[in-house]
Amino acid sequence: MTKWAEKRDGFTTTVEMVRVNIPESVPVRERAYLQILSPQERKRVIELGEKDIVIGRSPECDIRFIVENVSRKHARVFFHNEEFMIEDLESTNGLFVNGVKIVRCALRNNDQIDLGGVKLLFNEEKRLQPR
Amino acid sequence: MNLSGQTKTLVTFWGTRGSISTPGRITEKYGGNTPCVSIHNQDTVIIVDAGTGIRNLGLELLREANGKGSPLTLHLFLSHTHWDHIQGLPFFQPAYRESTRLTIYGSSKKEMFLASVLKGQMDYEYFPVSMSTLTADIRIQEMSAERIRLGPIEIDWEEQVYHPAGSVRYGFNVYGKRIVFATDVELDLMFGKGKKTEKEKLHAEQYLRFIHGADLLIADGQFTEEEYSDRIGWGHSSIPVVLEAAFSARVKQLAIFHHDPQHSDKFLDEMWMKHRTRFGADEHDMDLFWAREGLTLAI
Repeated sequence: MTKWAEKRDGFTTTVEMVRVNIPESVPVRERAYLQILSPQERKRVIELGEKDIVIGRSPECDIRFIVENVSRKHARVFFHNEEFMIEDLESTNGLFVNGVKIVRCALRNNDQIDLGGVKLLFNEEKRLQPR
Repeated sequence: MNLSGQTKTLVTFWGTRGSISTPGRITEKYGGNTPCVSIHNQDTVIIVDAGTGIRNLGLELLREANGKGSPLTLHLFLSHTHWDHIQGLPFFQPAYRESTRLTIYGSSKKEMFLASVLKGQMDYEYFPVSMSTLTADIRIQEMSAERIRLGPIEIDWEEQVYHPAGSVRYGFNVYGKRIVFATDVELDLMFGKGKKTEKEKLHAEQYLRFIHGADLLIADGQFTEEEYSDRIGWGHSSIPVVLEAAFSARVKQLAIFHHDPQHSDKFLDEMWMKHRTRFGADEHDMDLFWAREGLTLAI
């Protein structure tokens, strides 16, 4: 917030800008996560970071769903250019974001992801970080 | 991120907004960059329109090319030269790289030569760097009547008259699939309410023939029906008219494109919800979505 002080000399007006309050914090991403929506799956939240996450049926996957329509390695979530992306790993039944079959998609808050019938919700939260 | 590593044809939206770029919180989901779409099939890279979205595409192409250490061969097709379709070109980083080969295609039926228009927007009164400082090998090609073949992709086009100064629609045909890019056209003048002249009827038939059976149609849907009534002659279509035309031409997937700058994410979500139930449940299904930045489809 700034405070304006006027000083008149009869001809011109000079404005002095006085900084009285420097913002003490800036908003930064606190967390991003996937929430499992499918009722048949255990309710849990998958935290996302800068490390890639592979989702599928195989035991090698970071997130595993033992569901017939989920491919062994179905999708990958990765952090690219300061945003989270999801891509199809050539799955048999495809990857959908908000009902659209996609190959790759930048994720936005409240995007609904469907892979082989398993439904996930993408969320991002921000908090104020002290300067 | 590998954009060209798959044998499928990949279509990516880099800018979906019409008229002017609209950054901000309320356009974060569908994006604020003006039109730019890329079509990749193996080593063939086609770009359609050079709105502000082309800047991010350029950065991505360079990342990929630097990783491989390979030169870039790019083909840019312009629908027309209104600001929102060319304004990103001076910010397209591959154009400043000597090893890039960039061919720019556009209509030959304009009052001014395409090269003059592109050069004009980089005149020093408008932009600090002149077009001659773009070190890439740039060729500007005004299209003749012949089809163009680039790798496995064959391109056909038609002039569109229902837009101020005109525009071009493109068809990209690859391995039996057809992608149509047809924005900046006022379909309401051909298909909307009221009696149509013989010429308008003919143009309507030509349009339907061009989009018929397209696997993906990227179409101008800037206005709602209510908005359109105050914007007749602006060269853009109302959403219901686009939907009806695409559906009657048995388009398989329709991407509504060239979003109005005033339309927020929430508004576009609501429009999508309102219309998708109508067109998603019919016996000859047309998949309908509102194009958004950062989305890649396989065709």
